[in-house]
Amino acid sequence: MNHDNVVYSARNIITMNPSRPTATHVAVRDGRVVATGSADELCVNGARLDNRFADKVLMPGFVEGHAHIMEGLMWKQPYVGAFDRRSPEGKVVAGVPDIDSIVSRLQQAEAAMPDDNSPLYAWGFDPLHIGGKMLTRQDLDRVSTKRPVLVVHASFHINNVNTATLELADLLHATDISGVVAGADGLASGELQGIPARMRLFRALGHNPLAGTITEADVRRYAASSCVQGVTTITDLHNDLNDPTIEVYRSVTSQDDFGVRLVPALAAVSHTPEQAIAKLEALRQQPSAKLHYGIVKLVVDGSIQGFTARLRWPGYHNGAANGLWYIAPEELPRLVDKYHRAGVQLHIHTNGDEATEAALDAIEAAQIAAPRPDHRHTLQHCQMADAAQFRRMKNLGVCANLFANHIYYWGDAHYELTMGPERASRIDATGTARRIGVPFAIHSDAPVTPLAPLFTAWCAVNRVTSGGRVLGRDTEALTVEQALAAITVDAAYTLKMDHLVGSIETGKYADFAVLEDDPLSVAPEKLKDVAIWGTVVGGVVREAPRA
Amino acid sequence: MRKATATIPVTVIGGFLGAGKTTFVNHLLATGGPRTAVLVNDFGEINVDATLIQGHDGTTMTLTNGCICCSIGTSFIETMCKVLDAEVPFERIVIEASGVGDPWKIAEIALIEPTLRLDRVIVLADASRIAALIDDARVGATVRSQFERCDVVLLSKTDLVDAATRAAARAAVLALRSDMRIVETTRDSLPTLASLDAPGKVSAFRADSPPVDHRETFRSFAYRRDGAFDRGRIAGAVAALPPELLRLKGSCRLDGEDAPQVFQMVEGVWSLSPSAPEQSESGIVLVGVGTRDLPPPSVLDAILDRALAAGAVS
Ligand SMILES: [Zn+2]
Repeated sequence: MNHDNVVYSARNIITMNPSRPTATHVAVRDGRVVATGSADELCVNGARLDNRFADKVLMPGFVEGHAHIMEGLMWKQPYVGAFDRRSPEGKVVAGVPDIDSIVSRLQQAEAAMPDDNSPLYAWGFDPLHIGGKMLTRQDLDRVSTKRPVLVVHASFHINNVNTATLELADLLHATDISGVVAGADGLASGELQGIPARMRLFRALGHNPLAGTITEADVRRYAASSCVQGVTTITDLHNDLNDPTIEVYRSVTSQDDFGVRLVPALAAVSHTPEQAIAKLEALRQQPSAKLHYGIVKLVVDGSIQGFTARLRWPGYHNGAANGLWYIAPEELPRLVDKYHRAGVQLHIHTNGDEATEAALDAIEAAQIAAPRPDHRHTLQHCQMADAAQFRRMKNLGVCANLFANHIYYWGDAHYELTMGPERASRIDATGTARRIGVPFAIHSDAPVTPLAPLFTAWCAVNRVTSGGRVLGRDTEALTVEQALAAITVDAAYTLKMDHLVGSIETGKYADFAVLEDDPLSVAPEKLKDVAIWGTVVGGVVREAPRA
Repeated sequence: MRKATATIPVTVIGGFLGAGKTTFVNHLLATGGPRTAVLVNDFGEINVDATLIQGHDGTTMTLTNGCICCSIGTSFIETMCKVLDAEVPFERIVIEASGVGDPWKIAEIALIEPTLRLDRVIVLADASRIAALIDDARVGATVRSQFERCDVVLLSKTDLVDAATRAAARAAVLALRSDMRIVETTRDSLPTLASLDAPGKVSAFRADSPPVDHRETFRSFAYRRDGAFDRGRIAGAVAALPPELLRLKGSCRLDGEDAPQVFQMVEGVWSLSPSAPEQSESGIVLVGVGTRDLPPPSVLDAILDRALAAGAVS
């Protein structure tokens, strides 16, 4: 052993390394784990003992396999979702459970703004979480009749605006446009969606609040949120990766004080396969410890709760029309084949089971045409797959990243409206995946739902909805140990990073989540309440901000 | 607040993948007309014609992305805003909608944006497969929705099908909307926008009594390789192609040369011409049409492979 080793003692170390599952000490050098073990084993040859974590529990830093940099952008604006959420400053921002409390939060934000008629933006609204109530322009007129007020939904596809905004954009009478919803009075209600209405809105305002270049501050906010939640490796799972973004990512992740490993996925939709493959090849020329390129993201269908996911027979439980293909099923095999042959790892968004089927067909054809070991193509969300589809995944070498947070946030809607009782019970079927042996992770899709892997694990363990309904716990729930694997080493596997991160063992990065309590000894229903002290990334200790 | 500008007509071209949207857009550009901005929002498909669009003398813009979700919608919006704010205003905007999108949802932009007016929505339908697509279990609803509010349907590739298929295609489209105006076209007889304005002229494109022998059917062929041709070997390979291959066209790379080339072959006579410098397609993408006796693709592939530069990966 080397005298430069630092040996951290801890109340317990859950290594997620099956060969040595627990330890009391971990030796670190040059940002990597030298070994785990006991004091006797590690405190040798002048190694320096550091007891700062003596009353903490160490785990491998959490790996969020599906989240978006937008999480770092949204916190510049007030949050008006129904559930509590933790900001990058570590502050718990309370949920606003009805229209009146949304309006009063917006009024407070408005009062703090300069009197210049600049627009007020807010985010996180979901009518499904407040009894189906929609924000009307009249509600938002109580916030301001002068300045534009815009609230973007949790889905990011719908905006609600006040009358001043509708007048500015000439949309008050434009209810013949399909994305401009009419209110009871025949005028626009303030709910706007679709490209034409959005474009008019942004032209009237002079800019698009969600567009523009990602800044270093946005990425640092994303890293701060990660630290608050014990995350040390995080994806940005759909990015055009234009040159300014690439430069910001390169610059910020090369700084010593930047505290998370970033894994961007290139958006297939903005590139031809040839362009995407060439771009990734160039990006991978400059290997970096905290920036990992290599994944391409394909989006096959929409969302289940938005009724835009593609479902197999019998379709939506409430009879809604089937959803949208974002890539035609006949085009998907050609795209998959190109990337597959080029050695690219694909992460394929499929929410509905018909989209999952199309993706599996495409991967199967690509595997037959050009067999490739260990491709680890991963189906993202994959919320409705049944056992037969998981068996195909297993046979094709496909991984899944299941959207466990959906069970809590939209499980009731899935039971009552979208899927009905049987399919809702096996939503995000972690138990089936385990029985069949499909490698899988679980995720938040932040900012769609909050970034918080321990909460995600709690969802997969307890399978309880926000309305208190239990969905398939007997057959699909994970044990706490299994859920912890799904937010660490198994998530790393889906990113092809399990040789670098995901467990505390010799040779891997010294990336830790520092916990105040032991997730394996708290009651499973308390898993989400285990407090997080901070993280260690590449041996650099970082206490999470608390506000 | 708003600049007083003359309104710009917007033509939206819709239709499922492979219906011939890009061919038609190319045709509109090739047949002249005003300064046109073209927005193409189907990037997934290898599209030989899209590479040609990029080469069009600087008055056109090949632009990404469409209507599928927030971020993509956003970049389409940004592109459209750039077109609207161009210093020298465009005189026409043509938008090629996504093959799985609803062209009307794009067309509505022209109804609410003050500087725009909607010219029309044109939907292309491939005569050889539209009847099947309309009833397809997976994409039928997507395809049907594209026709709901279009002004005219261009039934494409009518020279590649027999009379019964053509009639079935017409019937399937008319079953969606009995008032639908259908113009039958071939690759060599595409209408211009002006000719579509005048119903009398448009009938010239109807194949009610076309001078086409419908006992003949055609086969298409596509050749795709990642490598490059050796300039010196092309002539030999082309000479070896069977006479049943009538046409072959697309883009290719040449070994040792940076600029991509446009390759064209009609009945054995072939040419190479430089492609646009900003052209981004890599490798070789050729599409061809032959008679129904065309040998199988593996035979044609093997012949064309002889023109590949040594070391090229197939
Ligand atoms: Zn996502």
